[in-house]
Amino acid sequence: MLEVNQVNFAYRRGEPVLHDITCSIADGESVALLGHNGSGKTTLTRLFMALDHPRSGEVLVDGNNIEKCEPADLADKIGYVFQNPDLQIMEDTVFEEVAYGLKNKEISEENIKHQVEVALKAMGLEEFADLYPRSLSFGQKRRLGVAAALALNPRTLILDEITNGQDEQEREMMMSYLKKLNEEKHITLILITHAMEIARKYTKRSLVLYDGDMVYDGSTDELFDGVRDLKPWGLSQPPLATLGAVFGIKAFDTEAFCNKLELKGVGVK
Amino acid sequence: MSEAVVKFTDFYFKYLSSELVLKNINLTVPKGSFTVMAGPSGAGKTTLCKAMLGIVPFYYGGSYSGSIEVLGENVKDKRVSDLAMRVGLMLDDYESQLVSLTAGEEVAFSLLNHGFKPQEVEARTKKALADVGLPGRENYQLDELSGGQRQRLLLASVLAVHPEVLVLDEPVSAMDPDGAKSLYALLYKIYREYNMTVIVVEHDINNLLPYVTHMVIVNQGVIAAQGPVMEAAEVTYAYPLLRENLPRLWQIKFNLEQRFGLQLGNWRSESEAQQELQERFQGGIGKC
Repeated sequence: MLEVNQVNFAYRRGEPVLHDITCSIADGESVALLGHNGSGKTTLTRLFMALDHPRSGEVLVDGNNIEKCEPADLADKIGYVFQNPDLQIMEDTVFEEVAYGLKNKEISEENIKHQVEVALKAMGLEEFADLYPRSLSFGQKRRLGVAAALALNPRTLILDEITNGQDEQEREMMMSYLKKLNEEKHITLILITHAMEIARKYTKRSLVLYDGDMVYDGSTDELFDGVRDLKPWGLSQPPLATLGAVFGIKAFDTEAFCNKLELKGVGVK
Repeated sequence: MSEAVVKFTDFYFKYLSSELVLKNINLTVPKGSFTVMAGPSGAGKTTLCKAMLGIVPFYYGGSYSGSIEVLGENVKDKRVSDLAMRVGLMLDDYESQLVSLTAGEEVAFSLLNHGFKPQEVEARTKKALADVGLPGRENYQLDELSGGQRQRLLLASVLAVHPEVLVLDEPVSAMDPDGAKSLYALLYKIYREYNMTVIVVEHDINNLLPYVTHMVIVNQGVIAAQGPVMEAAEVTYAYPLLRENLPRLWQIKFNLEQRFGLQLGNWRSESEAQQELQERFQGGIGKC
């Protein structure tokens, strides 16, 4: 359970980045954190990891105030994948990179190997285990970041723009795996994304930040109803939501949408 | 639009320790076109972009055969720095292209390297920052800019040189939908204003629909389709695994055309699509 109560935050230039934010995310939720560039999405999640501390207000993880915590204290609970994968790469091979966090725990070599292999496989990276991480493509480096977080089996995953640079197939592979984790193991997913289709398809709840204010906290379905004007928040309705609303069709891919259309003036079979 | 700004002829390439990443590339990008390049990850799109400046193979090393002509000159005979005056490149890994402390220094860095005079550097820096929606941010430190703002900054650095050809590898990957839309609208304005040729690698072509004139689809190191955008899109749709590279609206268009054996318009916007769909289709009863 993650909670923020009346949190305010500003970086050193002094302009407030978050204003009086209050929200809580229960275990097992799948939440999209949306908003324009600079709206405060990443900043808010950094507070959950104690990467920053609020100027006022409190941040609670599992009911405990984390004002005295360091990021390392929370590493067991929350897996955080940064927007820029290069910032997280430290080791010389893909395997070692994923094993890094595990080696700081009292786990046998054998278990480490197993957990790393499972995480690499889940992200489709098993064939790259021996490669130098920085030689991977941008999209692969992002998946490596996710694999490294997964290997630690955290209860909550905060994923910052992980679908960038992935093609359709890779996106589906990643997201359906994470969805399964969420549904079967009740891992909490917090997805920071600009990909409206991904948010619509894979999360149940959405939080929208606009200029540091929380302007929407509710169901993802209602947010992407295809009708609501999201432009003022810098967001947009995905085409399938807009067209779906016109025809009363709820579909997440082209085939499903077209399946439900029929020509006008032709009798119903 | 027949003159080519980029012409690959029988081009093959492998990095030092890789398999062939580009195979039998015969690709022409017409002068004045707004070309979008798409395809699955690892298809070779970024390598193609780098080859347009000679970075591949001459900086990375590796082996190649065939030839590349850019603006009528063989890349082999040119230095990367000479080509960079005429061809601007923005990489997908945009952080790796940023080298300075402040936004102003970042734009000035590329200008100074190209030998512009200090007064001109200042004027061009100011104009370029304003052009990309970062006016007056000269003194902002890079870590005060968000990912999307840093991408805009990089675009400003590339634009400030006024290249004839602009090659952009996923330039909006860190931008919100509104930012992505406005960046492409801005890019289109600049493209028209300076009569440039633009080549954009983009996964999400939806935002480019109003502007794009030509399309290239790359798959497993091979050009799977190229040409005027609708023709290339039709070829692409014939490959089920490549369909997802097309804009959602066109996937719907081709799907319905095949399904019902009819011809739909070449929609360039959601409202065009919606209008024609509403005229001709209805939601299936009991299927909602």
